[in-house]
Amino acid sequence: MARWSMVIDLDRCTGCQACVVACQVENNVPPAGADQAAAGRTISWMRLAPFQNGEHGTRPDLKLVPIPCMHCDHPPCIKVCPVKATQIGEEGLVAQVYPRCIGCRYCTTACPYTVRQFNWRRPEWPQPMERGLSPDVSVRPRGVVEKCSFCHHRLQRAKDKVSAENRPLREGDYVPACVESCPAEAMVFGDLDDPRSNVTRLSQSPRAFRLLEELGTEPKVIYLSKGEWGGEV
Amino acid sequence: MNARDEQKSAVPEAGPTHKWHHPGRWGAVIIGFLAFTVISATAAVTLQDRIFRRPVEQPIKFNHKLHVEDNQLGCSTCHEYYEKETFSGLPDPDVCAFCHSEKQGDSEEEARLVKMIADGEALEWKSLFRQPPHVFYSHRRHVLVAKLECKTCHGDIASTTAPPTRVTKLRMQDCIDCHHQKNVSTDCTTCHR
Repeated sequence: MARWSMVIDLDRCTGCQACVVACQVENNVPPAGADQAAAGRTISWMRLAPFQNGEHGTRPDLKLVPIPCMHCDHPPCIKVCPVKATQIGEEGLVAQVYPRCIGCRYCTTACPYTVRQFNWRRPEWPQPMERGLSPDVSVRPRGVVEKCSFCHHRLQRAKDKVSAENRPLREGDYVPACVESCPAEAMVFGDLDDPRSNVTRLSQSPRAFRLLEELGTEPKVIYLSKGEWGGEV
Repeated sequence: MNARDEQKSAVPEAGPTHKWHHPGRWGAVIIGFLAFTVISATAAVTLQDRIFRRPVEQPIKFNHKLHVEDNQLGCSTCHEYYEKETFSGLPDPDVCAFCHSEKQGDSEEEARLVKMIADGEALEWKSLFRQPPHVFYSHRRHVLVAKLECKTCHGDIASTTAPPTRVTKLRMQDCIDCHHQKNVSTDCTTCHR
């Protein structure tokens, strides 16, 4: 059984936000609008968090870190959900079942990476964007929590494709939209249980680290970076 | 002794002799009301489809038995897409017109169909099997990959002589039972996105 994982090379990442846009389009994430954004209620499954790492001449040395859901092996969000709306699947993907979610937001509080977001209102798209919604992903109603899914609808699609071609799933068959869109090729996606996969190789690099490793959540998003890191701005 | 003390002493103390075993008239009313609520709520839930939903009316009373059993037509003749797509599809008048541009038998329904085709009327078939809207089901995956027969979910619809008038609602428990039996994934992400 696969264990899906993402590697983000921060030394390659330029902070262009192509992943953010690709994610928004792929997963029917509604634009917040000015009033909601001012209230801090934007939804973004993939966000860029600014970190400061000392000074660069007279200016602060800023680094933007892409933060999707970590799909932890021991996800704290699952333990607090009173209705089992969020569960970890056989392949290590942490799923959110929207019709089950009662919107209590315990999970948004429990998540140390703050990647879970609440739908404060009914999603709306400016015309004619509504026609461009993906039929593979549901449109979340008001009052439920949502988060990055590692584009697991793409996994289903990939499985359908390989079963039609009568072959096993290979590396590159299933890749989330953010990884696919990265122009700097800073993101790699694959199976962490496959000893020959790129993610396994990169996860053993001396540059590899995970966010808030000390919490024991065992995140499956692995970052690569040479330098020392300052705090989040 | 002032007025308040007098009042106090006049109230008899509720001791262990107070009788609780008999509900009294108001108790009976409350119990009766609760029983009525429970019974009527149960009846409303179980019978809601029959009471509140009008029977489904199809444009033509299609005879599945005549087509599938007697004339040996495959399901894919009319439901074209179940081996290729997530949906199965309902036939356009063009599909019917292959055979029914002229009258084949002597049923009234067929005569009506022939006229509808000649007049260029659209056939607005109503779907009879319904899943919750947030479920992502794929006909292709179940028919082609898992090799399920249509009747596993659709029952004996192929041997009916007239379309059912009630919508069949497919429930998650039915999916889960089958997935457990066949030892396939019950991962949430398989159906819920």
